[in-house]
Amino acid sequence: MSALELVNIRKRYGTVETLKGIELSLASGEFLVLLGSSGCGKSTLLNIIAGLAEASEGDVRIGDRSVTGVHPKNRDIAMVFQSYALYPNMSVARNIGFGLEMRNVPAAERTEAVEKTARILQIENLLGRKPSELSGGQRQRVAIGRALVRDPQIFLFDEPLSNLDAKLRMEMRTELKRLHQMLGTTIVYVTHDQIEAMTLATRIAVMRDGQIEQLATPDEIYNRPATRYVASFVGSPPMNMLDATVGNGVAHIDGSLSGILLPHDVQERAGKARNVIIGIRPESLSLVSGDGKGLTIDAKVEVVELTGPELVVTSTIGSQRLTASLPPRSTVTVGTPQRFSIDASALHVFDQATEKRM
Amino acid sequence: MERRSLSAAILVHVAALLLLVVILAPVVWLFIMSISSTPDLIAKPLHWWPDTIDLSRYGVLLSSAVNSAGQAFVASLFNSLKVAGMATVAALVVAIPSAWAVSRTPSVGWSLYAVIATYMLPPVALAVPLYMALSWIGLLNNVFGLALVYLTILAPFTTWLLKSGFDSIPREIESAATMDGARLDQTLRLITLPLAAPVMATAALFAFLLAWDEFFYALLFTSDQQAKTLTVAIADLAGGRVSDYGLIATAGVLAALPPLLIGLFMQRALISGLTSGGVKG
Repeated sequence: MSALELVNIRKRYGTVETLKGIELSLASGEFLVLLGSSGCGKSTLLNIIAGLAEASEGDVRIGDRSVTGVHPKNRDIAMVFQSYALYPNMSVARNIGFGLEMRNVPAAERTEAVEKTARILQIENLLGRKPSELSGGQRQRVAIGRALVRDPQIFLFDEPLSNLDAKLRMEMRTELKRLHQMLGTTIVYVTHDQIEAMTLATRIAVMRDGQIEQLATPDEIYNRPATRYVASFVGSPPMNMLDATVGNGVAHIDGSLSGILLPHDVQERAGKARNVIIGIRPESLSLVSGDGKGLTIDAKVEVVELTGPELVVTSTIGSQRLTASLPPRSTVTVGTPQRFSIDASALHVFDQATEKRM
Repeated sequence: MERRSLSAAILVHVAALLLLVVILAPVVWLFIMSISSTPDLIAKPLHWWPDTIDLSRYGVLLSSAVNSAGQAFVASLFNSLKVAGMATVAALVVAIPSAWAVSRTPSVGWSLYAVIATYMLPPVALAVPLYMALSWIGLLNNVFGLALVYLTILAPFTTWLLKSGFDSIPREIESAATMDGARLDQTLRLITLPLAAPVMATAALFAFLLAWDEFFYALLFTSDQQAKTLTVAIADLAGGRVSDYGLIATAGVLAALPPLLIGLFMQRALISGLTSGGVKG
């Protein structure tokens, strides 16, 4: 049984179409992340699932029941908002218990549920406080608690960590992962942060211009991106995208004399295509050792940055840029030519015209 | 504190003092006039501080003897309280739902501008139509009639004020309440209105003051003690053959007291900041 099913969801504002036919099916217990830059329609989609907005076309099914036109409170869902949206005039305990209060759950039962939720989130000592007396991370926990206490079929998260500072964000991320593993709930989570998506999701839907560009596991999204957009969106530093022209099994990098001898399987997949984009993740580049067998590429080193765990080397091939993440103790000299070897299994080839993976 | 030269410090303090004097001087003079004896008030040159303090006028105005100045004054005081009170309550009753609706539905925001546009008309332009309307429904020289007229002045203004108040309450909080299963009335009663309390208090106070101080319509639409308000009653004190300036000043002081008391009483509610902590920051 699918916990959530979206059938051809479209949303129009006047003549502008912000969602262009979203199809999606989510199994119970999955953690789906809607990933995309701002304006791609991910928050609109979440609001449509929540019932805060209505789709212009299409159907939302929760637990095999169509909820189109059903009021949010009757959809058996809970949502955590970006701004937390706590009720400032109520204590933490009442904030968490508000959903139960509105559903006329008896006070004793309610108190018990609130305390249990508070224990899970380790905020028992905060129950008497007002939201204004809490730190950002604590408010976030309360907001999650408010969703958790109702034990809904689906949890919706709208960029819940974007207001936290970097350290707290990492802590809460782990916390969310722990909660998901512990409770086995179904979650739809909106973010523009690819690290959050990669670490939390069981599946990621990368969205662009109101469409799902690719729906796959984090591993697949990272290692087998379906389009150039997905490839460049996920990963830091981002994937190198080199325009190249294929001839005789060699991809000649545009604007330079160097070329890459394509492995046989890639050659076959490339077929007759002439203009391609060669995608290489920075971490699949390494310094050539010994005689330099296998795939190699020559570039001129421009900038070397030590981030701590890695050495980010930016170099140029003709007019194009190539970034490599190397071990921190690598010896690279600025201004000199450098030969990098490429992990052949990590070579991505996209069609320049369609931007699709080949 | 940042470093500041002595002359700058003096300048700032002098400016502040000047402002204080400009604001307080009329009030202080009003009070001195109200407790001066008549000879002191008409002496030449003027006695800035009275030789003899005379509190009798307060007694005159607050007396309840039949047909006295006091009876008329006290009656008008109660009329003013009734009119301003009713108009304020009615204005809030009208303004709260409409302000919320306009704040949450930007597409109907134009209607508020249309209402505000009527606000631009000078009162005198509406005097005749309003007079005829009141006469037609038989509410001339009636506190309810006057309250109704004041409602037309107060409602646009309070709606405007409350709309900006509701605007500052994040919609996400209401969305959260909706998801939590609250009905619209529950969301408003338990979440939105408590958060809007400071701005509602502000709106109520200003509406009350506006109605309390209104003179033009009150003068036109009331004719005797049944409905005459304070502002008209004070004008009456000056309208006779002999004007007792001291008495007018005393009436002014007494007329200023109720709004002052209400202001003090609502001070606590006026302090905003209740919404802090609900959303980030």
